Amino acid sequence: MIPQMTDKLAELLKQVMGYIYPNEIEIHWSILIVVYPYLTGLVAGAFILASLVKVFNVKEVQPTYKLSLLTALAFLIVAPLPLLLHLGHPTRAYEIYLTPNLHSAMAMFGFVYAWYLMLVLLLEIWFVYRQELVLWSEQEKFPMKWIHKIITLFSKDVSQRAVDFDRKVVKAITIIGIPSAFLLHGYVGFIFGSVKANPWWSSVLMPIVFLFSAIVSGIALVILLYMIIIPFRGEKIDMSCLDKMASFLFYAVIVDFSLELLDFIHRLYESEESIKILTELVINKLFVSLFIIQVLLGMILPLGIMVLIKLFKFDQELRKLLYFVSVILIQLGIFSTRWNVVIGGQMFSKSFRGLTTYKMELMGIEGLITALVVLVLPFLILALLLKIFPPWGIKEPRLEKA
Amino acid sequence: MKNLLPKLPEHIFRLFLVFLVFLGVILLVRFFIPNSFREHKVQIASTVEREKAREIKFAGTSACAVCHEEQYNIKKNGYHKNLSCETCHGPAQGHTENPTEIKPPAPRDRKFCPVCHAYNASRPIGFPQINPVAHNPLQPCITCHEPHDPKPPETPRECKACHGEFERTKEVSPHVLLKCTTCHVTPALHKVTPWSVRPSKPTTREFCGRCHGQESTVAKTAKVDMASHGEKYVCWQCHYPHAPEVR
Repeated sequence: MIPQMTDKLAELLKQVMGYIYPNEIEIHWSILIVVYPYLTGLVAGAFILASLVKVFNVKEVQPTYKLSLLTALAFLIVAPLPLLLHLGHPTRAYEIYLTPNLHSAMAMFGFVYAWYLMLVLLLEIWFVYRQELVLWSEQEKFPMKWIHKIITLFSKDVSQRAVDFDRKVVKAITIIGIPSAFLLHGYVGFIFGSVKANPWWSSVLMPIVFLFSAIVSGIALVILLYMIIIPFRGEKIDMSCLDKMASFLFYAVIVDFSLELLDFIHRLYESEESIKILTELVINKLFVSLFIIQVLLGMILPLGIMVLIKLFKFDQELRKLLYFVSVILIQLGIFSTRWNVVIGGQMFSKSFRGLTTYKMELMGIEGLITALVVLVLPFLILALLLKIFPPWGIKEPRLEKA
Repeated sequence: MKNLLPKLPEHIFRLFLVFLVFLGVILLVRFFIPNSFREHKVQIASTVEREKAREIKFAGTSACAVCHEEQYNIKKNGYHKNLSCETCHGPAQGHTENPTEIKPPAPRDRKFCPVCHAYNASRPIGFPQINPVAHNPLQPCITCHEPHDPKPPETPRECKACHGEFERTKEVSPHVLLKCTTCHVTPALHKVTPWSVRPSKPTTREFCGRCHGQESTVAKTAKVDMASHGEKYVCWQCHYPHAPEVR
């Protein structure tokens, strides 16, 4: 055995409680696998917020429509990165497309991802921006002129007929996009929910809980980005848009909270043989991340804040501040949710008689720094996307660099 | 079809073209990557080499049996027959190569045996387990147990050999003079398979009443009116029989 590995195991062994099997001492799905469902959830949530405008005609949210789409794209591009880093050999990932395995839920991810990226997000963004892209490419200078020209595929058709056609296509794609977004994140929940040997994961509610927590985190992220980007551009935050988004966030948090509570009560009432070790797990290993961060800070506190906002007529500045605090708390809570699912599910022994512990690496490929880089990367990509596809001002062509 | 096609705006055809090119690239890559790239032989070969290069540490039981025939014969019929010699004596490849210089260790203290035989709830029922603190303190295990054919030297005759805590509690209580068998009927098999054959426990109020009822003739015991005292409750719901309270 490699000496460093022996040292690591010896260190972990001291923190093992009760009896566990030898292959359970080290946790294999590390922080990168926590980051993966978190990122995917943000994609699905941001897209569902965008679809509110097109499918359900929620006019107030219009200012964030394009921002939501670009956010979803930026995060979707990075979403498979933690998996590729975790598995190693990223060049082999391509094989899942060439040798499809219909019996493996994990192998089907490639197709779910490709469908969502190529046929939903990229197409919708292309059709939404096409008219503007043509206008920009006519007015701009090199290099943006050529970037936009290439993206339009050198088409210059902005006739009323073509624009009407684009609008219809966008609507159709959004309608296909909603079940696709549900599929994308429901799929992640499905992966965990279908591990029948693991009682912490194995639950039919898992895909639905994942989905609603995804919607919560996605909406919260777009609110956060909107509240940061708009003042930086020296513009005024549209309060009716912000209130409406916060209102959707509020309902999503309530549904998410109820679902998780339902899951919790159901487990307690069902009281399967695993309940004792799960109780130990929750009390000994997940107390801070589950009760304090996920439930108290990530759900009850933001819910309380939003109830207060709905009950009392606060002025705009205070509302903004409270929304800002809430969405940050919600992000923290949802990240903690992913942590509790992924890491928590590996901390107890399949013998139901012992608990292990997770020691996060700092520098390694599965370490904290890699995870932070993966978490920051979507924001850099988003910054680039905002340069190429400026979402501000719906019709006016952009004349100078933003 | 011909009527439908002109209705689509021209940029849609460009988009289709991009998709076609994309699909074409995928197929081309599929076609151009030679199958030898997908072979696992190279990886397997290097794994085999890596494993072969590792130092051999364990000699195996059959190597021990060549010289240590006596111990081998004792062990092969005993409870430890499924353990390798090197489980206790450590890796012995060096010893087989240089028997005089390198001697494998033999664990002779009380630390080693409890690795397997200390009580742990997750061990199978019937597996011999002891409490290392209470089980013949300070004596090395091998004073009583032959490690190559371990058997209990004899079945303990007194309950306190296993139930020391109850015994010590009872010794300072008013029940000190009572034998365990006064209250517990203990089948002989309990000493052989303690987990599957268990002693009985008193289940009725009348049982305690034999000494503690008002009509009882047993001298110097606390007496109560069984009809009114404690109503429907069984005695041990309020009184701990191994240390009943003293007035």
